Formats: sequence, C-alpha cells, structure tokens
Amino acid sequence: MEDRIILENISKKFYMGYTKDKTALERAVSLFLNRESRKDLVVLNNVSFKIKSGENIGIIGRNGSGKSTLLRVIAGIYIVDSGSVKTNGKLVYLTGFGQGLNPKLTMRENIFLIGSILDLSQRDIRLKFEDIVNFSGLKDFLDTKVYKFSLGMINRLNFSVGIYCLKHSNPDILLLDEVFRSGGDLEFQNKVIKKMEDFIKGGTTVVLVSHDMDLIKRYCTRALWIDCGKILMEGNPLEVVKEYIKSTTNPNSIKIS
Amino acid sequence: MNLNENYNKLKSILGLSLSLAKANFKVRNEGSYLGIFWYLLEPLCFFLVIILLRAVINQKSIDSYPLYLFLGLIMFNFFNGATGISSKILVQSSGFIKSMNIHKEAFVISVVLQYIFSHIFEMILFIFFIIYFKASLSGLIYYPFIFIFLCLFTLGISFILSTIGVYINDLFNVWNVVMRVLWFATPIFYVLTEESILYRFNLFNPMYYFLDNARQWIIYNTIPSINSLLIMIMLGIGIFAIGLIIFEKNKIKFAEMM
Repeated sequence: MEDRIILENISKKFYMGYTKDKTALERAVSLFLNRESRKDLVVLNNVSFKIKSGENIGIIGRNGSGKSTLLRVIAGIYIVDSGSVKTNGKLVYLTGFGQGLNPKLTMRENIFLIGSILDLSQRDIRLKFEDIVNFSGLKDFLDTKVYKFSLGMINRLNFSVGIYCLKHSNPDILLLDEVFRSGGDLEFQNKVIKKMEDFIKGGTTVVLVSHDMDLIKRYCTRALWIDCGKILMEGNPLEVVKEYIKSTTNPNSIKIS
Repeated sequence: MNLNENYNKLKSILGLSLSLAKANFKVRNEGSYLGIFWYLLEPLCFFLVIILLRAVINQKSIDSYPLYLFLGLIMFNFFNGATGISSKILVQSSGFIKSMNIHKEAFVISVVLQYIFSHIFEMILFIFFIIYFKASLSGLIYYPFIFIFLCLFTLGISFILSTIGVYINDLFNVWNVVMRVLWFATPIFYVLTEESILYRFNLFNPMYYFLDNARQWIIYNTIPSINSLLIMIMLGIGIFAIGLIIFEKNKIKFAEMM
C-alpha cells in the first residue's frame, strides 16, 4: 500500500516569551536591556512515523503535548525546524467547523461565505446549496441574520456547510482536530457521525485528534499516544487508550517540560 | 501542467478574495440607515469643508478647483483606506490562518477589492460633478488606465504593510501618522509650484504622480508627459512585484507569529 504521510525525525521549537503581543517600544526596550532570555519550548522532538493509505490514525495525549502542532506540521501551516514532512494526495485540515461565520449576515450569505473559505467556487456552492439547507434542517431561517440564531442552530449550520464542502473536495488525507464536539442535539449528532463515517470507511486516510476515547476506539485502526513531543506508545487503539487512561489516574507521572 | 496549476490557484485566490470583500462590504453597511451613502458622504463632507476653508484662505485661483480637489481626495482616500486596513488585516484574520491552510494573499486582496468597490461609488459622484460643472467627460476614458497602476501600487504597499503588521502590532498607528503627513505633503487641496519646498519632496512622492497624471488627463484634457507616465507605470508594477515577493517569502511564518 502507498504511504500517504511520511514524517522523518521532525522537530519543532517555539520561542516562548518572545514576540507575542509586544509593541515596538516594549521590544526596543527589552532589546537594549537584554533582559528577556528566550525560552524555547520543544513541542515536537524527533518524531517520525508513516501512515499508509486507508489507515485511520487516532492521536491522543494531554493538553500541550504537541498533538495540534503535529497536525499543523502535517498540514503545512507550520514549518518544521528539522526533519522532513511528505504528504501524498489532497489534504484537508479541520479544527472544528465555523471558521469564517459572520453573525451579521444571513444564513444564505453565510453558506456562500464559508463555502468559499473552504475553497469551493460559487457555482459549486450553488449546486450543493439545497443539500446543505436540508441537512441543517434550518430551511425556515434562510434569510435570518445569524446573530439571532441559538448556539445549537449555529452549530448545525457550521457542520452542514463544513461536511458538504468536505464531501465536495473529496480529500485523500483528512486531518481532524477535535471536530466532533458539536453542540447539536442527539439527532443531529448522529447525522453528523454517520456522514463522517462515510469518510472514515470510504478509503480516506483520517488522522484524528480527540479526547473522546470512544471515538478513537471505534474508528481508528492505529493509535498514537504523544507526550512532551514524543511518541510514548503506538499500536492497537484499545491497548494505547487503556495505558493512556491508566496514566491519567496517576497524576504525578508526567509534567509539561 | 504547472501553468494550469498556477491558473487554478490564482482563480481560487481571486474567488476567495471576492467573496471576503463582498461579505465585508455587506457587513460594513449592515444596520446603517444610509448604507452605501456613507461612502459618498464622507468624502463629500470633507470636500465641502475644504471648499469653505479655501474661501477664507486666499490662494491663487485654480482652474476647475472643485474637480481638482475632489479627484485628489478620492484617489488619496483609496490608497489611504486600503493600506491602513491592510496593516492589521492578517492579525485580525489570525483565526483562519492558524486553523487552515488558506491562501493568505486573499485577505490582503480582499481589502483592496473592498476599496475598489467604494472608489467606484465615489467615481460615480465625480462624474456627476463633472456634469454639474459642465466640464468635458471625454478625459474620463483614460482613468481606468491610471487606476490599474494605482491599484497595483496600493496592492504592493498593502502586501508589505500586512507582512510587517504580523511582527509589529502598532504599525497601524504609525502608518496613520505617516499617511496624515503624506496627505498634507501631497498637493491635494493646493497646487504645487516649482519654487515651493514641497516640490522637491513630491518628486519622490508616488501619490503625486498618480494624482498629477489623472488630473491632467481627466480634468484638463492634456496628455501628461511621457516621463511622469513612465514613472507611474514603473511604480505600479515595481512596488507590486516587491510587495508580492516580500509577502511570499514571509507567509510561511505567519501562522506561528499570531
């Protein structure tokens, strides 16, 4: 089988306590006084693995362990300090739906806006429009401004647009960062999971970051447990999840560097 | 193959820019009673104030002064507005940039597009002015030619500013001051004479060439000198290329800096 993602010895550092939210004056002052020492935080430390076509990988670990950074590195949003990242095929990265929703516009306008942010042409969105509206079940509110929507309705809208755009772009690799936590009701959540199953079972290579252990156990063929930027354990999801849960009940075991 | 890929990329960048610009344009007018008339009201009020001021301060008279002034105002407004917003647009869109692999150029282009929209409205008002003051409309056909280079120039500066804006938070305020100085230094409401100190300065002022060419062609129906046209064309293409190169070189680092 062909390799979809190949990571070789990738490392990523962040300069903490540097640059962030500083004005030019502050920066000049700290430059002259030379007080602030750069603190490097190693987020990924010599990670390498391969993901084959059709595999579904679950990534688990504590907050700040480098899960999201890993996905961003694969997606090409962050550049690595060393090592190489190779991906093969069309890639889509999602961290929750709802990027680009504008509450001051109507639902109809928002569908077009979010669609184009997710890289669909206006024509493609027009073709999918009917399906999106039906899936969301919000047909009566098409011309209502979104700021009047309840949170649940907003989630429904976000998911519906997101999922149909995803379906249209038909990626080979799908990177999901905690997208399943929706505020929709049970009926809608089931609908969403069913749609996502189509991807997971349809041959798309899925890399899933989640704190929902049931999801990992149910859908993943392999699990990675990451801590402090290193792969602690890799293998059968059931076993990895079991070990991970065991470690969380024993809080003094690991600390953030 | 490669060409085709680039074409698709360009198409998707432009498509995204256009829908972002449209959405922003709608949001800006949302809930306001006068809507798009605000675009016209602002330069119009400014225009009236200066006309009144001029009655107080007696300068040497200028041919078709109202047209001279208004064209200068709206062209400078376009540049000022687009570059100002661009200096903070990437930080404002950090949500997107951090969470998806999106074409970052689109945010900057959408700002310029938005100001092109409003410039068109101002231009329509300008046409009414021309008719009202019984000037000739024929020079107007040359305006698109000048405006294309003004757009390229503005886009180039916007790319540079948006890149710097990622690293320096107070760029917006600094740029505001720079623009205010430039506003007074550029002959918008006065005429530049060769003996004034500002004449030297304006030889290095890009906006001067755009304004001067446009005024000569549209209002006075004289063909601008080849020299100043060439400088204008070079400024447009050159600054656009420099801006784009700076942006492309740095864009990979944006996500980490926000």
